[in-house]
Amino acid sequence: MSQKYPTYLILIICQLSFAQNVMNSSQDSILSQHLDEVIVTATRTKRQLSSLPLPVTLVGKKQIIKSGTVRLNEILNEQTGIVTVTDESGFQGVQIQGIASDYILILIDGVPLVGRSAGNFDLSRLTVGNIKQIEVVKGPSSSLYGSEALGGVINIITEKPKTEDLNGNASYRIGSFTQQDINLDLKQGLEKFRYGFFANRFSSEGYDLNEDVDGQTVNPYTNYTLNGRIYYDFNDKLTLFTSARFYDQVQDAGFTLDTINYEGDTKEREWNAHARLDHKWTPNLTMAYELYYTNYVATELLADPISTDVLSDSDFNQKLFRPEVRGSYTFKNDNNIGYKNGTLTAGGGLQIDELDRTYFDKTVNFTSQYLYAQYDFNPIENLNIIAGARFDNHSEYNNQFSPKLALRYRLNNNLSIKGSVGYGFKAPDFRQLYFDFTNSAVGYTVLGYNVALDKLQELEEQEQILNVVVSEDDLSKPLEAESSIGYNLGAHLKHGKGITEINFFRNDFKNLIDTRIIASKTNGQNVFSYMNFDEIYTTGFEINSSYKLTNELNLSAGYQLLYAFDKQKKQDVADNQVFVRDATNGQSVALSQADYFGLVNRSRHNANFKVYYDIPAASTNVNMRILYRSKYAQYDTNGNGLIDNFDTSFIDGFVTLNAAVSKTFYSDITLQVGANNLLDYTDNNIPTMPGIQGYVKLNYQF
Amino acid sequence: MTKNILAVAFLTLTFASCSNDDDSTPTDPVQTETVSNLYAPQTGGQGQPVGGEFTKFDFETGAVTTSDTDWDVAFRGTTIAVNGGAVTGTEDEPERNGNAAVAEVTGTLASVTTAEDLTFNQDADATFAIATGSDNGWYNYAGDPTHLITPIPGKVFVFRTTAGNYAKVEFISYYEDAPAEPDAFADGTPYYTFNYVYNPNEGDTSLD
Repeated sequence: MSQKYPTYLILIICQLSFAQNVMNSSQDSILSQHLDEVIVTATRTKRQLSSLPLPVTLVGKKQIIKSGTVRLNEILNEQTGIVTVTDESGFQGVQIQGIASDYILILIDGVPLVGRSAGNFDLSRLTVGNIKQIEVVKGPSSSLYGSEALGGVINIITEKPKTEDLNGNASYRIGSFTQQDINLDLKQGLEKFRYGFFANRFSSEGYDLNEDVDGQTVNPYTNYTLNGRIYYDFNDKLTLFTSARFYDQVQDAGFTLDTINYEGDTKEREWNAHARLDHKWTPNLTMAYELYYTNYVATELLADPISTDVLSDSDFNQKLFRPEVRGSYTFKNDNNIGYKNGTLTAGGGLQIDELDRTYFDKTVNFTSQYLYAQYDFNPIENLNIIAGARFDNHSEYNNQFSPKLALRYRLNNNLSIKGSVGYGFKAPDFRQLYFDFTNSAVGYTVLGYNVALDKLQELEEQEQILNVVVSEDDLSKPLEAESSIGYNLGAHLKHGKGITEINFFRNDFKNLIDTRIIASKTNGQNVFSYMNFDEIYTTGFEINSSYKLTNELNLSAGYQLLYAFDKQKKQDVADNQVFVRDATNGQSVALSQADYFGLVNRSRHNANFKVYYDIPAASTNVNMRILYRSKYAQYDTNGNGLIDNFDTSFIDGFVTLNAAVSKTFYSDITLQVGANNLLDYTDNNIPTMPGIQGYVKLNYQF
Repeated sequence: MTKNILAVAFLTLTFASCSNDDDSTPTDPVQTETVSNLYAPQTGGQGQPVGGEFTKFDFETGAVTTSDTDWDVAFRGTTIAVNGGAVTGTEDEPERNGNAAVAEVTGTLASVTTAEDLTFNQDADATFAIATGSDNGWYNYAGDPTHLITPIPGKVFVFRTTAGNYAKVEFISYYEDAPAEPDAFADGTPYYTFNYVYNPNEGDTSLD
């Protein structure tokens, strides 16, 4: 790992600044790929969406409102290649290009959100009520964002007040399972001072998918989101942005064990405080000074209401503090092309991460320092190149150097091709390093890597250890970061009234962290710890096509093909070292290569078809979205350690149909009626998906 | 695809048995036998001390035995003992008075053809020759939500018996009547079903 920045980044100089020209003409459109839309996530500068050399999905406010979605997971799940998945831990996360939620970074206005459950970031924590747009950059982006940006980055952009009049909206929605969503959004821009205030209350009675099991599948919950934003323009050159966000959820919890009905609740609470000074030193040089703090707390308490015996009492308290300085310098020469014409973006920061939770001996801290730089230029007229890299110095694992290169070549006015290659990494998380957990019912123990040696010694002193199966050396070398190299190659084609985009992708992961047995215990159970071993890949392609049939009628279709395999297991299958049991006589037979299905929770096919129809004369919009997901397996059921066609945990392919109709009265009142999952598809194994959910929403715009 | 695998398995079996029939020279025929529902209960567990007599099995007779000396392998819950080496220290275990041993091989029952060059292990203080625990020895425990105990497919155990003969074993099921899709909450345990091939010629390592 080189500690030096590649010199080319600092040496080359030039310009490219069409981004500024297009920012004001940005308009929301229903279908995501329009020419004049601007995004900031891909480069940390304003860039025209269609000119980017990277695969990007943009979801605008109008699409969110028209589709009647209220939480972030719902609207993202309707985008091609973005799938919400409930994994074996029972928590929901999002999958991009077949890459699990652990490896996808979630940002709000460019700063990271924390608080994951078994690696999953629950996107239903986020309301879509005050979102201007959602930007999703697919493929590794560690060159700008560091850890966790392997599969992609999801950045939620809130809306900046534009006008002097007080404007905003108030809405109320009620739907099946007494699901209620109440929003108040206020925005005003005075001379130098602008503010935004947003409040949301979301609640549901929950639902039950399986009456044979005690309790509900999803228990009743209520949550609140508050967000206040203040913008102040000191002068033309210096502007301040501050934002404070608060989220609080309480959900009933119940559990029946040995005929005792334990009761309690789970609570989640999140704070975000974000301040940024934007300083325009010269027309060519802008700087941003940013401070960010966030705190995520989750607690669960379950007790017997009669005897007050506590069954479970767990807590999780994560904090993150991150100051960052970054700048952008635009080099210009006369003919607007060439190496001396481009935008250099560079930044550096410090990140302090802290976690205190049940099953940790003490509060643990990580600190890391980082530097990044990127150069965005057009060496010749039709070629755009973005080259960048980031260096992370971390207290707990090896330093990481994350380069990225992206190119886009415009063949003619209608067709351009783009390709990129980048490195992504994820730091070992707190759990993998510091966990100390013994299952009280079964008796096995899981130890974090950094505490494994000491804890093993303690267990040996207590005479709980039968024999240790790894050497001390194996546990002394630091755990490596998980990493990937992602390749994307695609084309963007305009054809008449339509646009088609295709992108082929491949992601090669190594050093994935998994558990292994490090010792056996005298009670017949094992001690597990974490180590780097798995190598996997995901590959396939994604195609999106949108077609504006008339000014009022928009059609779009999307499809993703995905293959996701463990490399070692694939080789073992090829070597006839993996077996299954014959269903009739129970004898082992070697698994054929065609019967290795791949990784859990991956569907080979994902498709969507959407119709948006505006009837301007009646101020009405009608839309329908059809989503298809092909079969996928949840876990290995036949003991051979992989998913094959003989496993019985497959969920068959299914279709969901969502539809909504909105009509505006008196120019400022909108009534929306809609239903999600109109085909009423349910499966006990998809706890996050109830049957048909109807709703009515009234919105007042002022 | 399933059909192909079944066909292959069937052919392999037929072929294996045919070759044995043709090979009717001095040695006795080596045949595949099945033991069904060998009941091997244990007491305790789930955090309580484990105990109870082991159920002992003798390859020569192909039957369960109560003999203290003429046994090769013994079962209790998911734990398997061999009559060789030393006592492990668990409650109620039988004395090891033979020189039996076991080796672990990856493959199908048909693909393991010899006991030559295998590493044989015996029970010892605090260690069973067939390791205990999920994914460690002969079985996998699925945990939530099925809680199934499944013999690891592709694991064959080659035994050297107390009398010095060789046998190969494949475990099929831990549930009563070896249902194709067992239910950990409804089907009885521990009822071992296993296939084995025993070579009656003392010291002959061939298992073909």
